[in-house]
Amino acid sequence: MSGGRSLEKKSRYQVLQWLRRISQLGFLGAFCFLFVNTDYRGSDELEYAVNIVFRLDPFLAAITMLAAQTVIALMLPALGVVLLTLIFGRWFCGWFCPLGTLLDGCRHIVPTDTKGYHTLYPRLGRLLLITALVAALFGFHIAGYLDPFSLLVRGLVQTVYPAFHGVSQEFFGFTYASAPEFVNTVTEPIYTWMKDSILPGDRKFFELVYVSFVVLILIFLLEITQKRFFCRNICPLGAMLGVVSGRSIIKTRGGSKACGKCRVCARVCRMGAIDDNRGVAMSSCNLCMECAVKCPRQIISFGVGRTGSEPAGSVPATIHLGRRRFLAAAAVGVLLPVVKNTNVLAKQDVPSLIRPPGALPEKQFLGRCVRCGECMQVCIGNALQPTLLEAGFDGIFTPKLAARTGYCEFNCTLCGQVCPTGAINRLALAEKHEVKIGNAWFDKDRCLPWAKGIPCMVCEEHCPTPQKAIRFQPAQVTNAAGELVAVKQPYVVDELCIGCGICEYKCPLPGRSAIIVTNGNEDRDPGKKLPQSAAQPYG
Amino acid sequence: MNRRRFLKDSLVWSAAAGLPVPLLDISAALAAPVSPDVFVGHGKPYDALVRQVMTAAGGMHSFVKKGDMVVIKPNIGWDRRPQLAANTHPLVVRTLAVLALEAGAASVTLFDRTCNEKRRCYVNSGMAEMVDNLGDSRVRLEHIDGRKFMELDIKRGKSLRRWEIYGDVIKADCYINVPVAKHHGLSGLTLGLKNSMGVIGGNRGSLHFDLGQKLADLATIVQPTLTVVDATRMLMCNGPQGGRVSDVKIADTLIATRDPVAADAYATTLFDMEPGAIDSTRAAAAMGLGQMDPAKMRLTRVRL
Repeated sequence: MSGGRSLEKKSRYQVLQWLRRISQLGFLGAFCFLFVNTDYRGSDELEYAVNIVFRLDPFLAAITMLAAQTVIALMLPALGVVLLTLIFGRWFCGWFCPLGTLLDGCRHIVPTDTKGYHTLYPRLGRLLLITALVAALFGFHIAGYLDPFSLLVRGLVQTVYPAFHGVSQEFFGFTYASAPEFVNTVTEPIYTWMKDSILPGDRKFFELVYVSFVVLILIFLLEITQKRFFCRNICPLGAMLGVVSGRSIIKTRGGSKACGKCRVCARVCRMGAIDDNRGVAMSSCNLCMECAVKCPRQIISFGVGRTGSEPAGSVPATIHLGRRRFLAAAAVGVLLPVVKNTNVLAKQDVPSLIRPPGALPEKQFLGRCVRCGECMQVCIGNALQPTLLEAGFDGIFTPKLAARTGYCEFNCTLCGQVCPTGAINRLALAEKHEVKIGNAWFDKDRCLPWAKGIPCMVCEEHCPTPQKAIRFQPAQVTNAAGELVAVKQPYVVDELCIGCGICEYKCPLPGRSAIIVTNGNEDRDPGKKLPQSAAQPYG
Repeated sequence: MNRRRFLKDSLVWSAAAGLPVPLLDISAALAAPVSPDVFVGHGKPYDALVRQVMTAAGGMHSFVKKGDMVVIKPNIGWDRRPQLAANTHPLVVRTLAVLALEAGAASVTLFDRTCNEKRRCYVNSGMAEMVDNLGDSRVRLEHIDGRKFMELDIKRGKSLRRWEIYGDVIKADCYINVPVAKHHGLSGLTLGLKNSMGVIGGNRGSLHFDLGQKLADLATIVQPTLTVVDATRMLMCNGPQGGRVSDVKIADTLIATRDPVAADAYATTLFDMEPGAIDSTRAAAAMGLGQMDPAKMRLTRVRL
């Protein structure tokens, strides 16, 4: 009788385990679909974007709301996740999180130490969570460097996806140029299909690729030390859900004295949730069902409240933080913004730091931006690049316009559409046309008509404002040959220039452009207003 | 012409440039007739306009032979809607493509090396929708494929001696150049010869020094079978991309001719300018690539 029941129980957990795997793969697939579709697909309005996952993230929701000191409606779906966690515990980590799924998947490739089932730094995630929350209260943002979605999406955007694109181009370029005809009859349709579906429109290039790459790879390599190293030791989102799931309705019944010396459950647990006494900490358990399936005597079970007999294995394996550690973590969160204010950037910003159109004023922007890199992924002109230190130590990976690499496309509003937190406002096209993100300046020592009397008007040709912000004046110039020649010399109309950077991008001079965009005159900061001439210089 | 033949030909051409003694000068063979036929139509709708003008020009079958690979090169350079007159009108292009198919073309390929982001240009210009609605697999709107550029010698070039040209244009049996007539800050106007910049690779910005001569040099190797100038809407200022409907003049005019210089020269007169005011027209005429004097053209007018 009891044997029959345990078999029935086992098969129930096997079904749940399979459901969990299907859920993981399904959500990973959806994530990849959303990621690839975070790109222009022929419509000015995006249908899908991967920003949805960020809006489900209660950690980022808390951070951005604290930093903004207001309720951000875009982030409210994260509340739903908290409520579900109150019922089911950390299902989010075990059944949903795409990074968790990839880590589970990579263990088939990377060997993992299965013996060390004690989490190495069990308090670290919570400490980071406290520091991040307290720092956010002062507008200092470190969440983007710790959040699993930020880390994953940024790594994919800046390294994995462009690298995949590059390898595809190289491969199909080689087959096209060198392979015999019959190979091309196979490869060309494949390449055409890839270009139409999974490859981005144009090849993208990024600064800081190695930084993003190393960080992402490190997360996967840490699996060597223990299963789900990142999730157990670092992830502040996991830590936050762990705090909630300690009170979840679904509970696990751990092992009992009947288990004898058996420690199978603790060994298979990917989260280190099961202690030496086979007590299960719901704050760590991600409901993968592995222990329930593997338990030889079917003692471990999941259920509502405290099911069955008294949960043996005594006290569950939760490791308490302690008041001192709590205070220390909070103190770090206070200190970081205090030190930030002594940075020279607090006195004078970097003129080349041009933010995307619709970006909030710098302080609010830094608080809200979660460094996910989606704006860079969707940026149709490859104009947005990750910042290194131009915006301070807490500004790393925030987007900036690098106009020599790409320019802001006049009719495009995609970055504001994908920004998960509203750090970049969603702009209507008419608004976008008017927003000044910077201003162009001629370098008259380099500009051909000014410096050498050579005709050139590429910047004026590309200037997208309906009334040209770059115009020219006729002039007589002595060229290098000593001849007096008539040329058209370009100049900028500050009132019309929006700082899109197409002039800098298209300037045909090799190396540095003869026209350079800075953040002077940007709308976000009234202090940067340029002096206007009394007489309107244009019609 | 298949790829192998194309590669062989381009090798031969390149080898020819390496010879110390210049080959037989073929400019006589290339020389355009002194009195080219120019067909000018006025009226609406634009599909009927294109058909009427092409009928007057002897029908598309006098340019496209059965089984031809046809390339139509409109201006799709800018992320602008058709009414802003920065790009060729999709209906003009559509009708030309349909006429080419009716004349027996095996395929009609459309493309441009755009200035703004390529996908946005194809969509906002109305070209993508036009080709979708046409729904004929023989008509393809393709993005430029970087692998297809071939570096070629420009034997007769005075200012431009060597550049990357898009293979599909060189390979095409029939190349139809369909510029839109519009204002341009540096060159005055941008017309057919300038439209050919959309079939070349490299850093095009660097060509803007001595642009007129370079466009003429380019025209010695990029030679359209037919030039159709779309002056249905003319961008009168703030070109070449405009952005204001108020800068656009509705002219409902179309020009078709075999002579690329005559096409540009005649289109220039629509802006009340002398053909000689455009450097590229003057340079190309001086090289014997066509007729720039409207008085010497045999005009045929069509009215709807």
